[in-house]
Amino acid sequence: MKKLRWDSVIFIILITILGLTNLLNFNKPTVSVLENRALKPKPELTINGLLTGDYFRDYEEYYSDTFILRDKLVKTSKDFQKAMAFLGPGITIVQSVDDIQKPQENNLPDQSDKNIGNEDNDIIPDPASTPSAQPDTSDDTGQTGQNGENASPENDEMPERDFGDDPNIGYYLVIDGKAVQIFKFNKESFEYYAQILNKYREMLDDSVKIYSMIPPTAGEFLRLKKYAGITDSQNDALSYLESLLDKDIVTVNVYDKLNRHKDEYIYFRTDHHWTALGAYYAYVEFMETKGEKPLSLEQFEKIDLGDFLGSSYTKTLDKSLEKNPDSFIVYKPYTKHEFFKYDGKGEHKADVIDMKYKDSLTDKYLTFISTGGSTWSVIRTEVNNGKKLLIIKDSFGNAIAPFMLSHYEEIYIVDARFYNKNVTGKNIIEFIEDNKIDEVLFCIYMEDVNWHKFMSGVEGLLN
Amino acid sequence: MVFSSLFFLCVFLPITLGLYYVIKNRTYRNWILIITSLFFYAWGEPVWISLLIISTLFNYYFALVIERNRGSWKEKASLTAAIALNIIILGYFKYSGFIVDNLNSLLGTSFEILRFGLPVGISFYTFKTISYVVDVYRRDVKAQPSFFKLLLYVSMFHQLVAGPIVRYKDIDDAIDNRVESFEGFNYGVSRFIVGLGKKVLLANTASNVASMVMGNNYSRLSVAGAWLGILLLSLQIYLDFSGYSDMAIGLGAMFGFKYKENFDYPYISKSVTEFWRRWHISLSSFFRDYVYIPLGGNRKYQMRNLFIVWFLTGLWHGASWNFVLWGMYYFLLLVLEKTFFLKVLDRIPAVFSRIYSLLAVLVGWVFFFHTDIGQALTYLGIMFGINTRPISSPEVSIHFLNNAVLIIVSVLACTPAASWIYRKIKNRNKENEAGIAETLIRPAINIFILILSIIFLVGQSYSPFLYFKF
Repeated sequence: MKKLRWDSVIFIILITILGLTNLLNFNKPTVSVLENRALKPKPELTINGLLTGDYFRDYEEYYSDTFILRDKLVKTSKDFQKAMAFLGPGITIVQSVDDIQKPQENNLPDQSDKNIGNEDNDIIPDPASTPSAQPDTSDDTGQTGQNGENASPENDEMPERDFGDDPNIGYYLVIDGKAVQIFKFNKESFEYYAQILNKYREMLDDSVKIYSMIPPTAGEFLRLKKYAGITDSQNDALSYLESLLDKDIVTVNVYDKLNRHKDEYIYFRTDHHWTALGAYYAYVEFMETKGEKPLSLEQFEKIDLGDFLGSSYTKTLDKSLEKNPDSFIVYKPYTKHEFFKYDGKGEHKADVIDMKYKDSLTDKYLTFISTGGSTWSVIRTEVNNGKKLLIIKDSFGNAIAPFMLSHYEEIYIVDARFYNKNVTGKNIIEFIEDNKIDEVLFCIYMEDVNWHKFMSGVEGLLN
Repeated sequence: MVFSSLFFLCVFLPITLGLYYVIKNRTYRNWILIITSLFFYAWGEPVWISLLIISTLFNYYFALVIERNRGSWKEKASLTAAIALNIIILGYFKYSGFIVDNLNSLLGTSFEILRFGLPVGISFYTFKTISYVVDVYRRDVKAQPSFFKLLLYVSMFHQLVAGPIVRYKDIDDAIDNRVESFEGFNYGVSRFIVGLGKKVLLANTASNVASMVMGNNYSRLSVAGAWLGILLLSLQIYLDFSGYSDMAIGLGAMFGFKYKENFDYPYISKSVTEFWRRWHISLSSFFRDYVYIPLGGNRKYQMRNLFIVWFLTGLWHGASWNFVLWGMYYFLLLVLEKTFFLKVLDRIPAVFSRIYSLLAVLVGWVFFFHTDIGQALTYLGIMFGINTRPISSPEVSIHFLNNAVLIIVSVLACTPAASWIYRKIKNRNKENEAGIAETLIRPAINIFILILSIIFLVGQSYSPFLYFKF
């Protein structure tokens, strides 16, 4: 052959054009809208980075992360892979996307310098200013190692341990336009949870009541015929746990309550959280356990915020989810209140139902108390009954808190990932005593209980 | 830098090709290759480029001394010195930590040495330079009088970091007299794209599925899961490594070099002996020509020679006992075959000898992939039903069915099926040389693979080739 064949010509043209367009694309994205995460920023040229070779690795990652049309291409590749599974049973198991692209701690560029030698330790910014950071809804789902780093500003205070994370955590089952996390019972983790709560029981005064509420995940209520057994029974896990907990810790059995309402819209299909309705049933169960009368749902103002594609979608990028987004409904409390968040920079006023996120397709879950990243927060209500509640929670707790307002004078909210002793100057026991809190509710969902690293953060609050 | 990265594909390669073909002069073209190759290496391994240059320098020097002092004691002394230095460098960077650790645990001491990360490609380029000096000593090739031309041979980015272990004598002439042709370029592009597809579309996906099927610890692994897992890993390692070799050969061809094949469909072998004639040919032939035959080959002490070769082959793959065990496993199998089993394999139907070989290789990979030998044994226990495990699990059947297409395509990619079909189509119109196969089918498939690979690459993270760590 005396000339270039046409595939060689296209090869040369294609790689050259791609090279040039990327070179000339000065307006590189910093956030992947599709995956709802920060992209790798351009690395800074340092001598050290050059010598260790880190610069080059980071640069390549930056290059492919900011590749032209990236989101479209990523989606095409997912769709193609899905199409190739046509021999399959219509169920897919997806590894969380986090395993493939790591969100770096420098996805918070404006604040990342502050946690070095500075008492101002809040490296988690206000979610509104960096939509990518999205700390509160994303961090507890992609329970792979690096998320922990991202989520624990107090990393250096936490003892380093090998947690032997369950390797199956971070896997999603996609079925019938719905994605659920696959639950694999990890006995040691449940024992660890019991051990920690018993420790709280021991250290707290007897007058302080402790409640343990563990929201199951949507996977428990799937009706899998042929593939039953792919997720372990969460109910069995809970029964096992109950046998280990101190008698003076009250279990709030949300499992049975949710099970009774499993045909209602209590879980999102495209997000790993429960819906406000699911959280409402849990609130009802909590009140009934305490012997109090819960409010009826009609007493709240119902607002429909429209379409929602949550964490399970951004982690799986599955077409069947995208075609069938969730609808996002919130219930606004009528009790008069003020809501304050505290972090290293002081006090910030916030909304229990935060409408900042109402137009975001993927961040809507942050509407619930938008508390991500603050060391602690408090809702002060007009109710003058002197009752004070502390919720130690992951993001599942966010949706339940707004229902509690009419029952307490003060509701404190602490997320183990963000609590920082440097800010409050006290450990959680002192915090509880000083604020004269009389009820502590642990609201930590199944997968975080099953995740040693999260629970070690809860234990770390004691130190 | 990695071939299967967008930066290589869209920045490094077009620039290198552009500079190279804009210039017509042979000397300048060689310079372009040297500079781009050094840049290629420095990208990611900036410090150890010094080692690469030093290594080239002393091998260059000793080869010249050998050639200028034929018959004198200096000839042998230079050869010995060159080999010793190469082995010391490789030994220090690759094995010193391993040796010290083993000494410490054996003697209960706590010696420490300065440890470095393994410089990329060191296992490959030291073998290249050893082969060069030995070939000069054996008068198979003349010593290269120009340091820079030798540096070109050692550093050529096509085969610098993960093989094939190209011999100097095979490209000696090409350094000065190669002819770049459209035909060669077309072939190179084609070969490169096939390799890219093997790596990006098949090997990387197989690797992801394998890790989902196998999990991190094997507490829940079923029998079928263990088999599926090791099958996927076997597909991965072949497609990954042979894909890399395809890309290397393809890149070479784009610049007018012809490299020898490194793989010849190893998984269709009818014996383990045959497998090793078809797998990583440039490595096994290195050990054959520079270790086995000099030791006496099959004429004297064959057992000892085989033992040494397979011990070294194992160890070459990594400073860890599991690789040594993997080498010893093949030593035993090969001895077994040499003594009587090959005769048996010849007589039984081919399908049985193929199954035997494949099984032997799969079991071998179990040792290869587990640095922890205990874990390897657990895994084998699950595969062969020694540990009581369920036959299968819902996950395994879901993964299997969802990835059936991938598995089928990957299995076919391990066989000569595609090239057989291609030849059939091509031979139908012999009279017309550039038939439809050549002008339409093949290019169309290439472009399809290329575009799909780029799309997949964007969504994949940094995934170096498996053989980078060797």
